[in-house]
Order: sequence, then C-alpha cells, then structure tokens
Amino acid sequence: MRKIWLVVKREYLTRVRTKGFIIGTIALPLFTAGVLILPIVMAKRQTGNTQQIAIVDQTGALAANIVAGLDEKLPNGQPAYRVVRTVDQPGDLSGLRQQLRAEVNAGKLDGYFIVPQDVLTGKPAEFYSKNPASELTSLGTIRRATSGAVISLRLKQRGFEAEKLNDLVRGVEVTFIKITREGEVEEKGQTFMTAIVMAMVLYMTLIVYGVMTMRSVLEEKNTRIVEILVSSLRPFQLLMGKILGVAAVGFTQYVIWGIFGSLVAGYGVAMATAFSPGASLPKIDLPVSHLIYLAAFFLAGYFLYASLYAAAGAMASSDEDAQQVQMPMTLMIVLSFLLFTVILRSPNSTLAVVLSLIPFFAPILMILRIAIQTPPFWQIAASLVLTVGTGLALVKFSAKIYRVGILMYGKRPSLAELLRWLRYT
Amino acid sequence: MDALVLDGVTKRFDTLTAVNHLSLCVREGAVFGLLGPNGAGKTTTLRMIMRIMIPDEGTIQVLGQPASDRTQDLIGYLPEERGLYQRMKVREALVFLAALKGLSEAEAARRVQTWLERFELSAWGEKKINDLSKGMQQKAQFIAAVIHQPPILILDEPFTGLDPINAALVKDIMLELRGGGATIILSTHRMEQVEMMCDSICLVNHGQSVLAGDLRAIKQSYGKNTLRIEYSGDGNFLDLPELVESVNHYGTVTEAKLKTGADPQEILKTAVARGVRISRFELVEPPLNDIFIEKVGEAHA
Repeated sequence: MRKIWLVVKREYLTRVRTKGFIIGTIALPLFTAGVLILPIVMAKRQTGNTQQIAIVDQTGALAANIVAGLDEKLPNGQPAYRVVRTVDQPGDLSGLRQQLRAEVNAGKLDGYFIVPQDVLTGKPAEFYSKNPASELTSLGTIRRATSGAVISLRLKQRGFEAEKLNDLVRGVEVTFIKITREGEVEEKGQTFMTAIVMAMVLYMTLIVYGVMTMRSVLEEKNTRIVEILVSSLRPFQLLMGKILGVAAVGFTQYVIWGIFGSLVAGYGVAMATAFSPGASLPKIDLPVSHLIYLAAFFLAGYFLYASLYAAAGAMASSDEDAQQVQMPMTLMIVLSFLLFTVILRSPNSTLAVVLSLIPFFAPILMILRIAIQTPPFWQIAASLVLTVGTGLALVKFSAKIYRVGILMYGKRPSLAELLRWLRYT
Repeated sequence: MDALVLDGVTKRFDTLTAVNHLSLCVREGAVFGLLGPNGAGKTTTLRMIMRIMIPDEGTIQVLGQPASDRTQDLIGYLPEERGLYQRMKVREALVFLAALKGLSEAEAARRVQTWLERFELSAWGEKKINDLSKGMQQKAQFIAAVIHQPPILILDEPFTGLDPINAALVKDIMLELRGGGATIILSTHRMEQVEMMCDSICLVNHGQSVLAGDLRAIKQSYGKNTLRIEYSGDGNFLDLPELVESVNHYGTVTEAKLKTGADPQEILKTAVARGVRISRFELVEPPLNDIFIEKVGEAHA
C-alpha cells in the first residue's frame, strides 16, 4: 500500500506541476468565462443609435399601423426606429425613390420602407438600407410590424375587429411535467441538458484521462525507468498507483472547473435576471441519488478504461504505436456516446436496457438513462456490478499484459503474441 | 550464509529457453562476476533475481529467504538499460526511488544530499534529469542503486559511459560497500575488470552455466600455459605451429597460448636467433578473456 501511495503521489505532483496542466485547468475556464461573459457585458454597454427611417405607403392605409408596430427599444431605452417621414400614395414613385436613396447616402436617413399597392394580396414590401444584414435581429421587428398592419387591415376590410379577434385566437401554453419516483418536476428541457452534460463529462474524462494514463506508461517504458521501478514494486502496484494518480489529477481539474463553473453560472443568472426580471432559467436540480450514481459509474468506467489504456501503453514502443493500440478503446467510448440518440428516443426499450448492461457502454449509457428516466434499481445495480466486475478483471488482465509489455521493446505484439503474454509469469 | 542461491532456475519465452536449469551460489561478501556472451540469459537471470520476472521452474533464495516482493528491497539494482524520469528534478527522482526501496522520505532526502555531494552533483539537484549529461545521469542512476544500503548489489555494466575519474570513484564505492559487508554481483563484458575485482564467477552460455567457481582456482586449473611477451622486431618468430596454439597482439604486449607440453625455452631461443629484442618474457595463467572465448567458442563449435 505504501508503495502504491508513493506512485500515486509522484504521478499526481509531477502532473499537476506541468505547464500543460496549469494552462488547461486555469486558462480554459477563464477563456470560457470570457466568451460567456463578454457578450453580456458588451450588450449592456452597447448604446446603438435610433434608426431614422421613412415609410412610403402606396396603399395609403397602413403607415400608421406599421409605425405603431415598430416599438422595439434599444438596450439604453431609446426606440430602435423613428419614422421621420411618411408618404402616402406618392405620385412619382421613382422620383421619390431617387430622392430617398440620395438622403440615405448623404446620411440624413438610415433606411426607407416601400409598401406596394397590392401588399394585401401578397406582394412583398421592401425595406432599403445601407446594411440590412447588420440588422438581422431588427428584421424580425420590421417584418412583424408590417405583417400585423396588413393582417389588421385585411380583417377590417372583412368586417372583423382586430383586437377582438386577437383575444379569440390566443394560444394556450402547455406545461410539461416529468413524473419521477420522488414526485413531479416541471420539464423545461433541463432533463435533456442534464443528460447531455453528464454524458459529455464522462466521455471526455474517459478519453482524456485514459490517454494520460497510457502516455504515462509509455514514458516510463521508453525512458527505461520501468525496469528500476518493477525491481522495487510489483507491476500491479505500479499500474494501480498510476491509475489512481491520474484519477486524482482529473478530480483536481474537475473541482477547479466546478468552482469556476458555478461562479460563471451564478454571474450569468444574475445578469439574465437583471436584463429581464422575472425570467426563470430552467433549473437543473440533480437529485442526490443521481450524483451518487454518476460518481459510481464515473469511477467504474474510469477504472475499466484506464486499465485498458495502460495495457495499450505497455504494448506500444512509440507514440505512433500507441495511437494505433488505443483505437479499440477510443472507438468503444465514441460508440457509446453515439448510442446517445437510441437511449434518448426510448430509454426503456429492450435495446437500451441491453446496451446499458454491456460494461464497455454502461458508464455513459446508464448515466443517460438515469438522467432521462431513472430505470428500475435492479438494472442500475446489475449494470454497475457488471462494469465493476469487468473493470476488476480487466485490471488483472492489463496488469499481466503490462508486466510483460513494459520490458518488451521494438515490434508491437500481434494478437497471438498478446495471448501468449497472458500465460507468462 | 550464502547471499544468493539459484537452483535449477529456468525461464522460457515461447520457443526460446532464455535460462535453462541454471544453478549458482554467491557467497556473502563476495564480488561475483556473472559473465556470458550477448543473449546468454544474463539479463533474464538478473531480472528473475529482482522479481521482475518469475522463473518457470527452480527456486531463488536471497539471504536465506525465498525470493519475494520483500527480498526486492534487500537488493540494489543498476540495470543495463539505464533510465530515469527525464522531466523530474534529480533530487526528487532519487528520493522517490529511495522511498520505493523502503526508506522514509526524510531519510531518503538526507542520503540523497550526501550522495549528490559525493558525486559532485549537488549543484544539479534541482535541475531536470533531461539537463544532465549522460555521465551525470549514469552517476545519478548509480546513486539510486546504492542509496538504501542494500546487503546485495547487482551492477550491470557499471562503468560504461564514465570517464576514468568517475569510474575510479564508482570502483572505490563498490570496494567500500564490500568492506561494509555487501555482496556485489557484477555483470560485464570487460574481462580485465572481472579479473581485477571478482572473487568468483559464473560463465553463462545459452542459458546454462558453462564455468563456475573461484576465479583463482579456475585460472590455476588452466595452468601457466600462456606467454606474455614484450619485444621489438619482427613478430613472426611466433609462427611455430608445433609449439604455439594461438597468438594475440595487443599492441605493446603479445600473448601466445602454448600447446600442451611445449617448452617456452624453444620460443625464446628462436627469438634470440632471429635478433628480436625481448624486454619481457613471462609464463602466466591464461587471461580470463581467453578462457571466455575458449569456453563460449567450444559451445558454438
């Protein structure tokens, strides 16, 4: 145990002190936070200008309603549009166009709007400005204002009152409520979010820290230090220490990211509520049981894959070798992530149940199922037992491969050779 | 008590039998030479003693106990394949390796300091191993092997890559440790080192012991059958097929192996008759180098 602990400590300290770790752990969340926070800050600071526009209404009946519909406000409270001129049923349209265009080019006007005579029967209205693309968000406002005005007019022509009709055709909201064993939770998309976040975290962890374990084994092998190491402790102890040490590195990284994450999220929520008071963000509340399951599958999956990656490192003699040897593991992890959609569509189908019991897929898929629709406890337990059991068997298997592999240099072993390695003592 | 006893130790890899029923015995306090050509099974034997590999057959006893994880700490090991953590600091790496051998980290740190000073490496303690020259890395590795003061020390080619001053330092430390009661197992291809340092040897070929025992006794058993000559003039006076079996020119010294029953006086006569000036003419036991070649060559023939 003491020797395992020494290996864990060395592995942890040498990794945590590297530039790569510090940059990855500190800079990444700072960067992410920056990307998230900057736009909010910028949006708050941004004042923008009220657009001076003109409306040319060939029907002579819509302009007032359109003006009323252009009620968008800039973040600083000023109106987004000010209609400086309306022209009803102009005599000389092309002359007027030329004049308006000149005014836009001279900067007296930001844009003008031409509503054609037969807009009521479907002819499009036209909005002219120097840079319509930069106002993509306000295009919606313009479109809504025009449509609203046209619809009101049409209704009026047929003898309806627009206000009354709006009351009649108003839609009804549907609230989605998720039934769980604990009770009922309002569904605002948080289940999907939780599921995808949990699966993503597992997916990244398995690959990133698996590969880290593999590189560590390969480094000891290539620098030949491994011969001194295994003359002081059993290969199994070395393997275990390595896996645990890398796990500790991962844990540290997640704790730091977790703290950053909650700070950023807290700031984000504060900002969002400042912008639109009363808006409620979908609350992601994880039941404690989910966290425990997450931790259990996290560990089981990590052990299973890390031991395989370590064996891969022991088989390889170079980075290129390692790239190839790790393929099966990486494919397995990617595949379990791709099976996401199967689970999401029908989390309790036979296929989903079977897939989530297969140890190599279980960590990611069972976590998904738990997040989406918690399966019966026996399934969770069976999946966990299978994963842990396979994990333990694979640690033993990998330790054997490791024991032989770390002292073999040169050619990568074939499958037949690998099987023979298992028989060596 | 014997420091090390191997009895019928065998290790097979697929079709290759790397070590084949090897038995040997190393007296406590001895300097023991494990010799043999490349691929003879020396490294595999050492790895089995270190419990890096486990024999398929046979037993290994270390200081009276069967080899196990616990006997690992009784042995210091300098493997032929050198290597240290390239990106770790010298001091840290050595403390780690010493702690793995059972020292407390505080004690390990204290001893690392002493050893670094002894090897004039104390200025490099906080440098990464990567920044050290090859010779310095070699010295650091030697420290890792001896730092826990093991009763048994296995050194595989301990002098390669060292300049004469450092080689002398390593040799002095070996003698010092031996004086303190340590048993040293030396594996090397440098026969003159073996002759100067070892009490007893085991010559391994194809995984089997072909010659073992007290070095002096082995040499005596061959008798004084070799002429060591220094001369100036034409060397063809040694072309005497009925008297001389083989000739080795080393530059200043020439060694000639005599045929059984040949009289060295005849050779001296020939030399004098041909006007060769002799400055040294000595009848000696055969050098270990010749015994090695003879024994290994025999097996190959």
